[in-house]
Amino acid sequence: MAANEITVKLDGVTKSFGDFTAVKDLSLSVRAGRVFGLLGPNGAGKTTTIRMIVNITAPDSGSISLFGQKIDAKLQDHIGYLPEERGLYRRMRVADQLRFFAELKNVRGKVIESKIDEWLARVKLSEWKNKRSMELSKGMQQKVQFITSVIHDPDLLILDEPFSGLDPINVELLKEVVLDLKRAGKTIIFSTHQMEVAEKICDDICLLNRSQKLFEGSLREIKSSFGRNSVAVRCDGGDGVLDDPALVSKVVRHADEAQALLAAGADAQTLLKRLIDSGAVIGKFEMVEPSLNDIFITKVTEAA
Amino acid sequence: MTKFLAVVKREYIQRVRAKMFIVSTILLPAVMSLFGIVPALIFSIETPPLRVAVVDQTGKMYAQLQRSLYNDSSDQDASSDTGNVPRGVPRRGFSAFVLEEVNPTGQSLDQIRADLDQRLSARTLDGYVILPPDFLATGKADFFNRNPGDIVSSRTLQGALNRATREQRMVEARVDDKTRQALFRPVQLEGMRVSAAGRERDAGGSFALVFGIGFVMYLAILMYGQIILGAVIEEKETRIAEILFSSVKPFTLMMGKLVGVSFVALTQLAIWGLAFSAFALYGVGVLASRGISARIPGVPFSHYIYFALFFLLGYFMYATIYALVGSMVTTAQEGGQLAMPIILILVISFYLFLPVSRSPDSPFSFWVSIIPFSAPVAMLVRIVTQTPPFWQIALSLLIGFGTVLLIMWAASRIYRVGMLMYGKRASIPEAIRWARQP
Repeated sequence: MAANEITVKLDGVTKSFGDFTAVKDLSLSVRAGRVFGLLGPNGAGKTTTIRMIVNITAPDSGSISLFGQKIDAKLQDHIGYLPEERGLYRRMRVADQLRFFAELKNVRGKVIESKIDEWLARVKLSEWKNKRSMELSKGMQQKVQFITSVIHDPDLLILDEPFSGLDPINVELLKEVVLDLKRAGKTIIFSTHQMEVAEKICDDICLLNRSQKLFEGSLREIKSSFGRNSVAVRCDGGDGVLDDPALVSKVVRHADEAQALLAAGADAQTLLKRLIDSGAVIGKFEMVEPSLNDIFITKVTEAA
Repeated sequence: MTKFLAVVKREYIQRVRAKMFIVSTILLPAVMSLFGIVPALIFSIETPPLRVAVVDQTGKMYAQLQRSLYNDSSDQDASSDTGNVPRGVPRRGFSAFVLEEVNPTGQSLDQIRADLDQRLSARTLDGYVILPPDFLATGKADFFNRNPGDIVSSRTLQGALNRATREQRMVEARVDDKTRQALFRPVQLEGMRVSAAGRERDAGGSFALVFGIGFVMYLAILMYGQIILGAVIEEKETRIAEILFSSVKPFTLMMGKLVGVSFVALTQLAIWGLAFSAFALYGVGVLASRGISARIPGVPFSHYIYFALFFLLGYFMYATIYALVGSMVTTAQEGGQLAMPIILILVISFYLFLPVSRSPDSPFSFWVSIIPFSAPVAMLVRIVTQTPPFWQIALSLLIGFGTVLLIMWAASRIYRVGMLMYGKRASIPEAIRWARQP
């Protein structure tokens, strides 16, 4: 696939439910072979956007194209979707469920069986193959659900909060799988409200807030556009300095360090000098990139 | 189409393999035969005979009473059927009696009663009857006993006394034996069924068949409607619906479910049908070997087809409504509540089989067999009792399946929205709005 090929393209998409507009005039492009983060707080319109891409609901206006074609039921077979609200048939055996979901994606024949074994081995669930899903722990069920979204080898994978409720070991395991899929040339849309998670795996992001797009672009671009105007500080004393609005526009205090966003026109050298002058003992003073969370909050405040 | 088949296959295989299916397949015939056998068993339990003293102040009735009590079961005809029961042996089972004559001469009635009351409380006697001297004229007597709740015994005694009195009155009217027998010869009324095929004997077999078919129809629709309700709620409760909708159209999914479960229902009905036929054939064989001829009521082949058609009509009508209800609610309990009116309609349309079977060609029967919600049971009853003109059957099927399509259309539109609505139960106006959405 060419690097700049577009897998998903939304153009002026609007969707309302009664009086409530869930998505308003949204346009975005998901590039092939990249991890695209669809980010925003709860209720921003992420799930509605995804449901339209997967052809579960139709937009009121605007157009959606997938792989250069207008979205239709046939294209669904090339999408893998792991919704935020997901489940399994409680009384059905794991292998039977996976086979059923693969059949629903038009995968036929013996391929299914080898795929089932392959994926169960990959997420370390091989010995649970013939167990009913109600016998599985919640984490195991979540891994089985993940397999249902990838078993038909889709070109586009859409994951809505895929890691919620998983323990760190399984989060790492699935993250690896997702990155492997990306290396294999798959396009991945990753939706979450946890900015820290998104920061680690997304190439491109789109920030949604209150049904509208705040920002779209590569993570690198947005971070550098904000510049290194944030400082991580660990020091004893000097609190008054950090609270000076002429130097610092915002300060967030963590357990053992503080993060200070420099005010417009202020620079880090001045801040450091003022801290030393105030007699503070400095343990750490580092220029850092703003976190995605900071960027998001700034963008939301700007928009308001 | 392959996706539709995948849904049908899953519904069918998962359900037929489930323990629930196997248990209910075996259990229902077992329970039904239990209902047949248990009352017979209970009635065959032997209870000790009732010891009854008779104070016969007429001096003529004791022998007559003894004869009529020991000889006869039914109220009317002492002459024909019971000839094989030897005289003097009390009948078995309920309400057998041991009679004892108390000679009233030489003692006052009060004295006799005091004695008998004492024996009653000492439990050496269960009851006594006093026939006053003018009994034959007035027909009034008293039965004193400890247990007036034993209606069966007192009825039997009354019947016997009735016949005895009649006999004695005959004797006193000097009616000779021959005349008496001629007067009491019972009549025979045999049910003859008249249909286009001609006349044939029918001893109530048809009614049993109608009841059986109506009942099985009602039970199967109810049971499999509930299964659909449960299946839809499961997919909603466990949040599988959204994954499914990303692969298959809601309409395909709903239809796949309905069709898959209908195959499960037909499988179970076929098993029951075969088991019943085998059982009936065996029963006829056993009866025949004992010299009793029994017949399975003849059922024309077309009736099987009608049965299948009307079953499918009823099943798809109610199951689709159940699917609709399932997509509107969030839990099984809520589903049960919202499904109550449906069950009510079903129960009413089942009980309509009574008036319909009594007058299958009345205007009432016509209308209830055309109205789609009651048609499956009502029209089938009409077909079995007195087959209506073909155009009526065709009309009923046409309107019925037309209604089913309409319900399916509405249900699929509500289903596609409802399945993704979590949180609270949808109101009916909301559901109507969903159905209208493009």
